[in-house]
Amino acid sequence: MFIPFGKTTINLLIGRGCSKLSTIIVISEVKMSGQDQKPQKNDSENTTHFGYKTVEKTDKASMVAGVFHSVAQQYDVMNDLMSFGVHRLWKRFTIDASGVRPGNTVLDLAGGTGDLTAKFSKLVGRDGKVVLADINSSMLNVGRDKLRDKGLVQNIEYVQANAESLPFEENTFDIVTIAFGLRNVTDKDKALRSIYSVLKPGGRLLILEFSKPEHELVNKAYDFYSFNILPKIGQIVAKDGDSYQYLAESIRMHPDQETLKGMMENAGFEQTTYKNLTGGVVALHKGYKF
Amino acid sequence: MSTFNEQVMHQQALCSALEIIINKALSLNEQGTEDLTRLSQKTLTIILEELGFPLSFSVYTSSKNNQILVTTISQSADCTIKTSIKTLIQLQKEKKLTELIKQDKLDIDGDIKTAQGFASLAESIDIDWQSEVARHIGDIPTYKLSQLLDKLCSKLSFAAKQITADASEWLVHEKRLVVTRSQIMHFNSQVDVLSRQTNDLAKRIDQLTNLMAETTQNKKPHE
Ligand SMILES: C[S@@+](CC[C@H](N)C(=O)[O-])C[C@H]1O[C@@H](n2cnc3c(N)ncnc32)[C@H](O)[C@@H]1O
Repeated sequence: MFIPFGKTTINLLIGRGCSKLSTIIVISEVKMSGQDQKPQKNDSENTTHFGYKTVEKTDKASMVAGVFHSVAQQYDVMNDLMSFGVHRLWKRFTIDASGVRPGNTVLDLAGGTGDLTAKFSKLVGRDGKVVLADINSSMLNVGRDKLRDKGLVQNIEYVQANAESLPFEENTFDIVTIAFGLRNVTDKDKALRSIYSVLKPGGRLLILEFSKPEHELVNKAYDFYSFNILPKIGQIVAKDGDSYQYLAESIRMHPDQETLKGMMENAGFEQTTYKNLTGGVVALHKGYKF
Repeated sequence: MSTFNEQVMHQQALCSALEIIINKALSLNEQGTEDLTRLSQKTLTIILEELGFPLSFSVYTSSKNNQILVTTISQSADCTIKTSIKTLIQLQKEKKLTELIKQDKLDIDGDIKTAQGFASLAESIDIDWQSEVARHIGDIPTYKLSQLLDKLCSKLSFAAKQITADASEWLVHEKRLVVTRSQIMHFNSQVDVLSRQTNDLAKRIDQLTNLMAETTQNKKPHE
């Protein structure tokens, strides 16, 4: 399998100042074009992890992009297969914990193929709005096609954006969710600060992410599954073992429950809590902006 | 720290199952469309004493499909009913709503029209479940299935009675389930062995694939 690391170029709607939600460029045809990422000197401040590998910070986004361009078409099937369908319950748990109401404005960040967006769109109703934002054009395209096929068109906008510098005005959203996305972000602290800024006072962030299993037994079984079985399913079904090897590695490199909670507090979030799901294989963190 | 109950997400599993059953029933019931459209964007929340968490039913309608979404979000209800399964059964049998309200067995808060709308929708659903299932799996399996369900229900209620009757015995059972350190070590080493075996197997598959590729290549000039 060939992942075009370092070669993938994406045109991002990032860092160009904040725009009002109503004036955000909604991407109807997401295209790839030049990206102005310059590799920098190799010192520890400029490096980060990509799975178990150490890479230049400036390269990580495009390497992650490579993975998700590669898995986009098979993403939903693989999700069901790899989690035995349990990811649907984790996502339901997230929706329930969000306390979403009709009329709310929701950002489904790193929303990929739009599972959360679909549910939110129905629950916020005609007076509400959901923005599906993702850094990756292939994932956004698959998501947009899927949601349109379901007849979900009225209150959804699609925005290609990097979680680290969100192109929205301050105090825009009632709810921001990021499901299985944060571990792929290069500068997670920057992303948390950016999310904090676009939330309205009283708004809340929900982070659904793989985490550290509470019990040693679960941990061991889970390790075996992720490193021995998962890449093989990836190889057989999606013909892409390398991407699924990265997914397994990136899960292990992601901060554990308490560390992530601390990071949220550093970014300004209050009343920060988390709940372990499926023995801590996954955790849902929640924090408020007041 | 979360409790075990939260981890198994039984609330979400129940919501998911209810959503599937209700929407399947709605799709078989064309008469309900009008009721559904009238209830568009309305939410009824039912808080059942026995469950310990709210069940909210929100109506979503669009040109492509109508649906009821089931969640545990209670903050945005148009109408909330607080009661117990026991009272609901009583209500179904005796239909003495005001009496039950007076006895504090049932509490309705919010827009009563929403509750009535949902009630009329539920009444309009008139599906013969057994023949629906039979259409898919045949008469005899359906009969067996309903027998099995009956048995399961009586077993479950027996188990529930037992658990409440003797909590201390339950604790002993739980204790026996706790794994010891040496069991963990044993499990870990078994996983390691399995992991090595899987890798060996993967290597053998690779070798076989290569061998097959070579054989096909060697064959080609003769063809
Ligand atoms: C594992 S998928 C999760 C998709 C979806 N939220 C779900 O739960 O099914 C991770 C997503 O994060 C996106 N992503 C990675 N880095 C990102 C970043 N810096 N900003 C925004 N999205 C990012 C990827 O493109 C990908 O679609």
